[in-house]
Amino acid sequence: MASVEFKGKSFEIDEDGFLQRFEDWSPEWVDYVKESEGIKELSDEHQKVIEFLQDYYKKNGIAPMVRILSKVTGYKLKHIYELFPSGPGKGACKMAGLPKPTGCV
Amino acid sequence: MAFISSGYNPEKPMENRISDIGPRKYDEFLPPVIKKNYGQWLYHEILEPGVLMHKAESGDEVYSVRVGAARLMSVGLIREMCAIADKHCGGHLRFTTRNNVEFMVDSKAKVKPLMDDLKSRKFPGGSLKFPIGGTGASTPNMVHTQGWQHCHTPATDAAGPVKAVMDEVFEYFTSMKLPASVRLALACCLNMCGAVHCSDIAVVGIHRKPPLKDHAVLDQICEIPLAVAACPTAAIRPTKIEIDGKQRNTVAIKDERCMFCGNCYTMCAALPLADAEGDGCAIMVGGKVSNRLSMPKFSKVVVAYVPNEPPRWPSLTKVIKQILEAYAKDARKYERVGEWAERIGWEKFFEVTGLPFTHHLIDDFRDHAYYTWRQSTQFKW
Repeated sequence: MASVEFKGKSFEIDEDGFLQRFEDWSPEWVDYVKESEGIKELSDEHQKVIEFLQDYYKKNGIAPMVRILSKVTGYKLKHIYELFPSGPGKGACKMAGLPKPTGCV
Repeated sequence: MAFISSGYNPEKPMENRISDIGPRKYDEFLPPVIKKNYGQWLYHEILEPGVLMHKAESGDEVYSVRVGAARLMSVGLIREMCAIADKHCGGHLRFTTRNNVEFMVDSKAKVKPLMDDLKSRKFPGGSLKFPIGGTGASTPNMVHTQGWQHCHTPATDAAGPVKAVMDEVFEYFTSMKLPASVRLALACCLNMCGAVHCSDIAVVGIHRKPPLKDHAVLDQICEIPLAVAACPTAAIRPTKIEIDGKQRNTVAIKDERCMFCGNCYTMCAALPLADAEGDGCAIMVGGKVSNRLSMPKFSKVVVAYVPNEPPRWPSLTKVIKQILEAYAKDARKYERVGEWAERIGWEKFFEVTGLPFTHHLIDDFRDHAYYTWRQSTQFKW
């Protein structure tokens, strides 16, 4: 299990760079990941997506379906890709500290 | 090895990025004779196993030589195919939907040199690189999956058993002596990637033990509701457990409801279930996708379990040969395996093939299982 140090915080991650524990998430994590996800500057829109993903995960125990993410945030999938170039799963969920998406992906 | 950049700039990943261009258009790669006669073919003939001739309205002819391929192949082998295509076919070739390779030439005179060339090529171990066949009433290539090469949910291997089976039925690949085409398929787990559920004879990897539960990490790496909803028999429920004095969310599995499909592992990496002794293959027969004579059919399980026996899977290949030979001997012309089994009746199928009938083969999944039982007095002793 790899662990990374960033701004005095330590994060345990898997080989794809997803957090191993949701509780380890902190704002520093977003700062650390954004580079590798092709994001230069974090905007309010990024924050809104990340916050919604975390709220939904805490409430439901799963990541929301893409349609729900779009409907609640008001961002079309195209815009989500503009925010997170790797997409809602590999990009946004990773930054929000959610578990790695599974299934036939 | 030193890093060699392709020109991609990780500092600006979206700069000069090309996307959504789709595949190349198929007609860029058509041989001239195909391009010229596109949509104007009159008829075709199978000249001999593996060799087809298509006649166009213009009188043009195109000869296709079909060769078997392992599907999983190196760039070296692809380059060798390209060299053959350059030498004989003007640089053109195609792959079939069963992952055979077809070399096309535009005159009969070019067929023999091509075939001689193909026949002369062997791997150092002795196997043919380009065996010619797979046309007409034969066993064309076996559609298969990733197995232990690349996948994380398999219950058996793919490339290994396929090689073993194709070695066993090779004479049927290079001849056309069966009543009808017999499609073989293999999937290494119940996800059934490929054509297992609709093939004449199919092999599918199965487990026989319930998943292990890695309680310590389950709630961290899994979305528990997804694992619960992944179960077709509702054997999984969320629960709490105490580890080192700490309450943890996890799942409980009712083993007597679990039929080891492995779907929960697909959704949750903390529920692994592969097992060397437990895992093996089930064999299914009688599926087809074409509409010819009878409607498309699903294949049906006729052997509940044969063990994994790498590297040659002798029990598996033996049973497949047994079924194939019984079918070849007994079925009428044009009859696919499923049509044959349904005509003679499944009780006769088991008698003719010599396969044992076990209780595992009786459907017990939900309401529709009932329709697979016999509500009739019509049967043969």
